[in-house]
Amino acid sequence: MIQKFNIFLLIVTIIALTGVYTLKFSIEHTAGEKVALEARIAEQEAELSLLKADWAVLTQPGHIEPIIRRHQDVLELAEVKPEQFGSFSDLPMRPAAPDAAALNDLFQALEAGVDPIGAILEEIE
Amino acid sequence: MADITYGGHAPIALDGARKVRGNLTEARIRWMILAIVLGFLLVGGRLVQLGLVETDTTIEGQTRDAIQASRPPILDRNGIEMAVDIRVPSLYAEPRRIINVDEAVDALRTVLPDLDPQWLRNRLSGDKGFVWVKRELTPDIQERVMRLGIPGIDFITESKRFYPGMTEASHVLGAVNVDNQGIAGIEKYMDNENVALLQELGLARGNALAPVQLSIDMRVQHVIHEQLTDALSRYQAIAAAGVVMDVHTGEILAMVSLPDFNPNEPATALVKDSFNRITSGIFELGSTFKTVTLAGALDSGSVRLTDQFDARFGIRFGRYTIDDFHGKHRILSVPEVYKYSSNVGTIRIMQAWGKDNFRAFLTKVGLDQRIPLELPEMRDPVVPKEFSEIVAATASFGHGLSVSPLHMAAAVSAFVNGGNYITPTLYHRDASEAQALYKPVISPQTSAQVRYLMRLNALEGSGTRMNKLAEGYRVGGKTGTAEKVVDGRYSSTKVLNLFASVFPMDDPQYAMVMLVDEPKAENPQSGTTAGWNAGEVTGRIVSRIAPMLGIAPDFSEAVDANLVPPALRLTNIQ
Repeated sequence: MIQKFNIFLLIVTIIALTGVYTLKFSIEHTAGEKVALEARIAEQEAELSLLKADWAVLTQPGHIEPIIRRHQDVLELAEVKPEQFGSFSDLPMRPAAPDAAALNDLFQALEAGVDPIGAILEEIE
Repeated sequence: MADITYGGHAPIALDGARKVRGNLTEARIRWMILAIVLGFLLVGGRLVQLGLVETDTTIEGQTRDAIQASRPPILDRNGIEMAVDIRVPSLYAEPRRIINVDEAVDALRTVLPDLDPQWLRNRLSGDKGFVWVKRELTPDIQERVMRLGIPGIDFITESKRFYPGMTEASHVLGAVNVDNQGIAGIEKYMDNENVALLQELGLARGNALAPVQLSIDMRVQHVIHEQLTDALSRYQAIAAAGVVMDVHTGEILAMVSLPDFNPNEPATALVKDSFNRITSGIFELGSTFKTVTLAGALDSGSVRLTDQFDARFGIRFGRYTIDDFHGKHRILSVPEVYKYSSNVGTIRIMQAWGKDNFRAFLTKVGLDQRIPLELPEMRDPVVPKEFSEIVAATASFGHGLSVSPLHMAAAVSAFVNGGNYITPTLYHRDASEAQALYKPVISPQTSAQVRYLMRLNALEGSGTRMNKLAEGYRVGGKTGTAEKVVDGRYSSTKVLNLFASVFPMDDPQYAMVMLVDEPKAENPQSGTTAGWNAGEVTGRIVSRIAPMLGIAPDFSEAVDANLVPPALRLTNIQ
């Protein structure tokens, strides 16, 4: 009876041992993966920080102005003058509606085969 | 066991055997216990030993966290980066792990030839656990050093501060040292506030820190930096500086002081003469101070805009006579005193108001205290505690007392925004926050009169050159040409020129103070007074920055006509 129980305990111990060691190694493996990932993240963050710094330099007004000055002539760029600003109130009102009757006459004449503008041009020639 | 019996001797033998066995077992158990106790003692002792070992996590006296600590990025008001952190590898060595020093020195010098071999040999020999070899290298060099495979040589990633704007906002930002601690400017201020604590605790790692937003507008900052650099060469001046401030919120949009330094090379910050002239330079501001005198006098009620003052003769104080620079030598009205920048007229106005009232007014507009701006580089103004007759007289036109240009910008802002003093700031502040901090110094009516006077000076007085360059943006301002003291006397050739201005005058938004130190005439036809240099620079700057700040030009004459106070509209004094 005791002998059987001992054998049972032995088997349980072996199983537990294997289990614990498997768990240990798998955790070590995961931890290793984590460290590798962290290193990669750190590396990418470092690269990202450099790219961000690059971007910050390239978008700086002090960096853009010399480029504009260099290409000013080719691109025909100039500083905006105060006179070039306008407001909505400065816009003229919509012009009066086109002369509908005169246009109708013109279209009717064209349909009838008479071309008043052509006649004017011929006269000039 | 019962069968092991030997007749009459049996009981003794049995007894003895059991005793012997019993003794043996007892002895075995005792030995076992001893062994186990010894075993535990061993484990326990080792534990105590391990517990006592202090692992050295510091790097040359600093914690690893402090070295890898990052600083929050600094942004301008539109989100443009002004300071960012970049991660860079730094090369270090563990001398106690280096086997062959000479070999290591030779190998390292193939990649880093500028290292001194003798210095490197000393550095790598010895029994130290950690020494820096070279800090803040490029990833490319890191790769090449790693390929050498020298034992005891390794890299650590450090945070390095980088300023993409280079010199442009140097005086605002300041700089950090190689250990990422702020040594000047807003960087130092941030350290004093809280960043240093976070770094100590090891919390400031990675990019987790929330960015700090300043009130600076990098576009405006750039234009001013560019225009002042131009002014330095155009007028062959020794220095130039300028500040732009929002009159309603007190936010500083730009602050430039030339000569400046490159914050990416902190050593250049220590060069003489590169101090911040806006905050830590105090000067006799000359005629720009007349704005202060007139605003106070008009607000007191003892002087009215329609009053006339006798400026026919100079005023004598003992041995000294104070006279006007471009004297009209006649009776002047208050607007004329301002327009012609009459010293005599200003003294008469101050005297009508009272010198003690004048002195009290300077305290009211904060001209005799340090401004609590977020920069460590601040200086106390020098204003006499009590004014004697002559000191009050000279002070009324800006001599005999020294304040910083920032003081003038803050005072002018208060005079035009309806009369409320607001402390300048470099951090973002919205209108409602600002209103809670308002301190009334003059009445809104006086504020309107000051606006009229400043615009009048731009239209007819010393600001006309400025106004021509910024037509349409309704700039108003006052010049100041202060003679510098050379060997205890005022020099007529060495002058400090200022222009304090506000735009647009019909709805004031921004106040500016521009300073040009010891300018020379641009060409033989031009002069050296403030209108020719500080004034013109202001005009050029306004024409560039006004569109950026959303101020549309307006050429209608009604704008200027509306600025004239009702008292002057009917009785047109000539």
